[in-house]
Amino acid sequence: MSQSEPSDQLLICDRVGYTVQAPSGRLDILNDISLQLNASETLSIVGASGSGKTTLLGLLAGLELPTQGTIHLAGEDLSDLDEDARARLRRRRVGFVFQSFHLLPSLTALENVLLALEIGGFSQARERATQALDDVGLNHRLDHYPRQMSGGEQQRVAIARAFAGDPDILFADEPTGNLDRRTGKAIADQLFQINQKHGTALVLVTHDLGLAQRCARTEEIEDGRLVSTDASALGDEPKSSDRVVDHPG
Amino acid sequence: MNAFSLSYRLLLRQGRSGGLGLLVAGLLVATAALVAVSVFTDRVGRALERQAGEALGADIAVNSRTSIPDRFDSEAKRLGLETARLITLNTALFVGDASLLVEVKGVSPGYPLRGRLETASSSADKGSVSERIPAVSEAWMEPRGLRQLDAEVGDTALLGVHELPITRALTFEPDRSGGPFLLAPRLMVHIDDLLSSELLGPGTRARYRLLAAGDEQAVAAFKDWLTEEIDSPSQAVVTAADADDQTGAALAQARRFLGVAALTTLILSAVGVLLSALRFARSQRDLVALLKSFGATGSEVMNALTLMLFWLVAIAVVLGGLAGLVAQAAIAQVLVDGQGAGLPPPRLWPVLTSGLFTLLMAAGFALPPLINLRQVPPMRILNQSLDHTIGLGWALWLLPVASAMAIPVIQLGNLQLAAIVLGGSLALAGLLALAGWAAMRTSGALASRARASWRFGLAGLRRRRTAGVIQITALGLGLMALLLLMIVRTELLGQWRGSLPESTPDHFAVNIQPDQVELIEQALLEAGAQRLQIRPMANVNLVDSTGRLDDDRFGRQVNVSWIDVLPPANRVAEGEFFSANASGEVSLAQRWAEQAGARLGDTLTFESGAQQFTATVTSIRDVEWDSFNVNFFILMSPDAGNRLPHQNIASFYLAEGDASVLREISRSFPNVSVIDLGALLDRVSDIIDRVSSAAQVVFVFTLLAGLVVLLAALEATRDERRHESALIRTLGADNALIRRGLLIEYGIMALIAALLATVGAALVGWLLARELFDFTYQPSALLFGSGFVTAFALVVGSGWLGNRSVLATPPVRILRTGKA
Repeated sequence: MSQSEPSDQLLICDRVGYTVQAPSGRLDILNDISLQLNASETLSIVGASGSGKTTLLGLLAGLELPTQGTIHLAGEDLSDLDEDARARLRRRRVGFVFQSFHLLPSLTALENVLLALEIGGFSQARERATQALDDVGLNHRLDHYPRQMSGGEQQRVAIARAFAGDPDILFADEPTGNLDRRTGKAIADQLFQINQKHGTALVLVTHDLGLAQRCARTEEIEDGRLVSTDASALGDEPKSSDRVVDHPG
Repeated sequence: MNAFSLSYRLLLRQGRSGGLGLLVAGLLVATAALVAVSVFTDRVGRALERQAGEALGADIAVNSRTSIPDRFDSEAKRLGLETARLITLNTALFVGDASLLVEVKGVSPGYPLRGRLETASSSADKGSVSERIPAVSEAWMEPRGLRQLDAEVGDTALLGVHELPITRALTFEPDRSGGPFLLAPRLMVHIDDLLSSELLGPGTRARYRLLAAGDEQAVAAFKDWLTEEIDSPSQAVVTAADADDQTGAALAQARRFLGVAALTTLILSAVGVLLSALRFARSQRDLVALLKSFGATGSEVMNALTLMLFWLVAIAVVLGGLAGLVAQAAIAQVLVDGQGAGLPPPRLWPVLTSGLFTLLMAAGFALPPLINLRQVPPMRILNQSLDHTIGLGWALWLLPVASAMAIPVIQLGNLQLAAIVLGGSLALAGLLALAGWAAMRTSGALASRARASWRFGLAGLRRRRTAGVIQITALGLGLMALLLLMIVRTELLGQWRGSLPESTPDHFAVNIQPDQVELIEQALLEAGAQRLQIRPMANVNLVDSTGRLDDDRFGRQVNVSWIDVLPPANRVAEGEFFSANASGEVSLAQRWAEQAGARLGDTLTFESGAQQFTATVTSIRDVEWDSFNVNFFILMSPDAGNRLPHQNIASFYLAEGDASVLREISRSFPNVSVIDLGALLDRVSDIIDRVSSAAQVVFVFTLLAGLVVLLAALEATRDERRHESALIRTLGADNALIRRGLLIEYGIMALIAALLATVGAALVGWLLARELFDFTYQPSALLFGSGFVTAFALVVGSGWLGNRSVLATPPVRILRTGKA
């Protein structure tokens, strides 16, 4: 297990817990989660449905605040920031790729990418958006609407949208979950390829072990707790003493 | 990204996806309806005022017992108004050996400023429009004057020092005032002739009048100037509105009808806007969560949504305003066709205030659900179960809602009307919500015991209980507004129309001496006179009272009558009407009693010549002054007839073309004057006709607004319903079960909404009729039965049609896309 210098640490999650009030009483979704991520590093979070991995992704990206523990993103303690301040932090530093793409159906591919850039206040947004779509091989589909594109193409637009602002960190929630195997692989290839090109840190939530293994590190989550282990040994007994496992490049 | 460009993008997005359709439609219909109604009623109102102005021959006039100073005339001219002067005087006129008391009217060039004179070449001929006034050295005489003098056009009249040839028979003058009690026939001459006739010496009771007409603003300015300037009690300002009781009453009634129609349209539009905004806001939650995950702040989202709504309002105001203007122009074209007088041009202010209304309505009804979207957590993009209820936060938004509703209330200028319609709607909304809530609870309990389609239908209601309560309330309000219009349209308007039946008395015969009553009654009945009433009339002075009467009343002459039963068009408001054998009792008209300060129990003493009559006020009556019956402020018990010297007055309806009968009566009874009110009646019935047509046009907008409400209410839960139906079809339910389930769900909602709406409409209609229109209105069972059935069928039918696609779409497609 390698430990980076604090200055390189883009994301620090320290003893994070998340509890909600359910009709039946308190419900602990996440418990005592600690992890770090350096710039340009890739991390996958795997786990069964309902294990809390998507909730963790949301907390790490500052979409919601933990009820226990702290999260530092790009040097900022998220708990010190209100929702608007967290939104402003996400603008230029964070990108998202979602399982169901979340493209706006009435905007063209180019407009979808532009919208995120414009919210971030980027200059030369149109040039950047065009370049981003070119990077994912969709320069011939700029004016097409989502409904005119296949699922794979839609997710490529979403990837272009995520990278167009050149974020420090990208959060991907089951990016291939809605795609067939072949398309999923092609999308994953593209995701990692662009990620490498931009040097962006990546946090990937998936239950696809093949996809998870392409990340430098993998964390497994079970009943709201990290039970990290070597990805190759996932499904075996967790190595509780060694929660973060490095993979060779 | 600034809120401006974000709002533009959002608008673009929603414009393309059609999600804003109903919201824009709601705003647009509201604007169009209000613009059409307010611009049109403003124009019609001004036209009717002008028409009423014909009763004055001007837009405004100054009456005076002394000569009117020239500076009045100069000021009117300075303001750009046209002016004319009149002098009227009662004097004896000689034609040959015959003499007659006439009312001479000296007119200056320009007269009449509103309306036209009509003259004929002989007393028997029908009149035609005259473009001029009598020239110097000629006179025009009213036909009944000619009949009474046994004279004809061509004879010479001696007026003061002048001998004037009678060159025309004066058949119509627009400002023939004085009503049925104007005893003396008219002689019209040039004002210069009257001025030089030597009849206007000191002590004569001449009445001077300055007429002015022109631009409305100038008239208003002149009125203000006059109010400042006039200090003598012998001078008074008269406007078109108070020139004529009958026309004025019809005009006020007309405005009330249009007002009810306009208000119901606006209530419907407001409900439509609220419903479509709620639905729109629900559909925007994912978008807001997505924007926030990209880094948009809550205030940016709020600003963008507010701006977006502002664009929508701007679009609705421009398009709705244009639609409203086009609509009112089209209506005006149809309505004034053949009327000869065009409507005055539209004014800008009703359009501007309508725009302000739409803006406030949007702020009050559509903005709250949109602004609440700022609270959607960004986490929702990953976890849709983090749902956010689109609440309303009513308290804060009552202000713009109240301001929005204040605009039509001010524009229509009738607080009582607004209180009944708006208050009734508010009370009904509360009742509907309560009934909806109770129905949802009951259906929840019943669903567990029911089977198959009933279980599906009842469970559907329970699951969507919040939406269901809103739907029932909205549908109920919408239906009530439509039913109310049906009542106004068919029953109240019909009743108003019926208030002037074919045989409304159109003639009065006055100055009938007691010994002539029987003969005249016989002559009139033989001539086919209908609805004949002959009533005694005495001219008395009020000399004493035990009550605290306004001092001004004493010594003033007033016409009184006596009778043994309560006459038609009278209703006892206080006390009890005296019996046939009563003595020493008096009944007062409410208006007179209020003005004089007289109360029940006061004892009044009247004097006529050497005779006195003392009587106690035992009843106060509410009189329909516009009923064209002979009505009196003061009615005495029959014993007064033995004491007071009196004459009689007859009112009757005479079919057209019986002028010879009148001539015969005039000849046989020279002291009796017969007055034809046909022209005035025609004017009132013309106003009623115009209002009926205008109301029909407003109803079109009301129906459109009703459609928006219906669609918005039914659309509210359509997506959810489709998804649910797809799911249970996948589980093996057949179409028949789903169809029955839907019918049960809509049926229950329709039943509650239609039932309460019918009761609400009946109550509001009854209140309007009683308090506002002065009708005794009996809600018709047939109308309400059919209203209820139609309302029920409308809701179930459109709910059914709107959900046909639930069954038409393969379930797999709905489930896969998660969307309808």
